[in-house]
Amino acid sequence: MSERSNIPDDDGIGRPSRRVVLALGAAAASTVVTIRPALAQTAGSVLNCEIPVPAPQAGSGNFIAADGKLVPAGTPGAYPPLARPLKGEEVKAMLNSGRAPAGVNSEAAQAYANYIRRLQAGMSGFTCYASLQMPR
Amino acid sequence: MAASLYAADPPETLRTVELEGLTLLYHRPSGLTHFLAPPAPQILEALAAGPATAAEIAARMGEAFEIESEDPAAAIAARLSELEAAGLVWRT
Repeated sequence: MSERSNIPDDDGIGRPSRRVVLALGAAAASTVVTIRPALAQTAGSVLNCEIPVPAPQAGSGNFIAADGKLVPAGTPGAYPPLARPLKGEEVKAMLNSGRAPAGVNSEAAQAYANYIRRLQAGMSGFTCYASLQMPR
Repeated sequence: MAASLYAADPPETLRTVELEGLTLLYHRPSGLTHFLAPPAPQILEALAAGPATAAEIAARMGEAFEIESEDPAAAIAARLSELEAAGLVWRT
């Protein structure tokens, strides 16, 4: 947690010197809690839901850049669309542990994972992605 | 191997409310809401200046804060991992 230090507000020549102390805490501490939409899906169906990469409405012929953004087909350094949608279970493993789905190399998997993280409400796969983040 | 470069959505895509030391953050692109404890909001603030490695993020934070940590690199790496899992940060 951050706290104000007890250093005076200035250094005597009008220059602010008070610095806010920011404790980073232990590596094992948790600092992010996500409130997910209440989606009526069971654990079983969540792991079997599918995410097309990319979503058809986003342009299924586009490639996926390393940062997850869609770019024109053939863009150097970008990855082609996946021939099949990813299963929720594959996506969960990819997002949580970086494990690439079968037949996908690790660099491409990172790009696909970034694409999925950028999914927005209304796009194919968003509901599946949001469901995967629901606590068990 | 080059250090990972991290990026975050620009501040205008977020709606944040400070709550007694915690930050309630609504991420417009995903429609998800997150509760963040320090130093997670400060990491996102550091990334608002553009993509950066963990070391660069630490340096940016050091300009605004007196960093207190036994192992800043490990702590920031852990926080980045959490933010990445939450969809608030990604590697470029």
